[in-house]
Amino acid sequence: MSKDLIIVAVAVGLGTWLFRFLPTRLGRSPALASGRLAGAMEAVGPAAITTLLIASVLPDLAAGGPERTAVLVGCGVTGVTYAVTRNVVVATLIGALAYGLV
Amino acid sequence: MAQIQLRSETEPGTDAGIAGRLPADTDESAGTGERPAGKGASFLDGVRASIPIVIGYFPIAFSFGAAATERGFAAAEAVLLSAVIYSGASQFMALTLLAGGTGVVVSSLTLLAMNLRHVLYGPSLLDRAGPRARTRWAPAWAFWLTDEVYATTIGFLSSRREAWSERWMLGIGASAYLSWVAGTIAGAVAGGGALSSYPSIEAALGFMLPALFVALLLSILSRRSLPVVIVAGVVCTLVAGVVDVTTGILAGMAAGAVVGALRRGSSTTRRTE
Repeated sequence: MSKDLIIVAVAVGLGTWLFRFLPTRLGRSPALASGRLAGAMEAVGPAAITTLLIASVLPDLAAGGPERTAVLVGCGVTGVTYAVTRNVVVATLIGALAYGLV
Repeated sequence: MAQIQLRSETEPGTDAGIAGRLPADTDESAGTGERPAGKGASFLDGVRASIPIVIGYFPIAFSFGAAATERGFAAAEAVLLSAVIYSGASQFMALTLLAGGTGVVVSSLTLLAMNLRHVLYGPSLLDRAGPRARTRWAPAWAFWLTDEVYATTIGFLSSRREAWSERWMLGIGASAYLSWVAGTIAGAVAGGGALSSYPSIEAALGFMLPALFVALLLSILSRRSLPVVIVAGVVCTLVAGVVDVTTGILAGMAAGAVVGALRRGSSTTRRTE
């Protein structure tokens, strides 16, 4: 096993864990309880989901042709299924199935 | 994982029926910080909520394992990257950097920069969980706090905030992680093209995470969050088109957070006037 790979894996793994863990201590800070910072923290969730969705479909949408059609059908079926069932798991599975069948 | 490739506040969300009947988890015993046993969503509830992630992760991790061995990495090296880094976009980038002979320092800093957005996840999650949410096991569940686990947790908190528990976090996190590592092992052993005989299944599995994001976005969408969603989406699209997708994600999240801060600031000012 490559020594460089091990060093990179440990350094990035440790750093990523610290990125994910240390701020949970900030989450206990009273400074987050009110004001602009609280507003920002509240907005991060919707913003993150939105950006992750865009990042995941943008390449296929930009490609055009059947890829774009499949993405639009998959997203549409997921949305309609969620509207009907109000169940994220079911909507995800049916939406992915629709995408695969297009 | 970010190589990737919203709800009215009163509507049931992520896993309707799983935790709604459970009593409050964030109600700690007065002054002790201890939560009474048996309250809140269980580990198994977390496992059930992870199903779309588990199904979505496996093929992506599979493709990572296959890509690693195709580029000359040993199967054990691919599994090490998945088990220790546990961040999809970074792992694929790591293959490119390491295979290209990039130095250890530059490679590490580049990969860490890609994961910087995770800094926002913990505080955001705890802010939604409430002031009495516990973090005793945060060192464990934070390791598993990927994009998809965070997004699913936000969906859960939007409808079942009172049921949030660290056990639930451990359940969803551990399941997703095991799927990721198992997928990597399978991909490293089987190599690429194992699913090429089943194109529909391969395509459906590849769309699992985008479909999850669509459903989650709908589950948390509300009049209050709409401006944040619009601004984050527009900024992400523009920046991703001009720079790259990772920068687009960071810029979109930052723009959404600014909108949230400005809206909260203006409402606070109105109250004090």
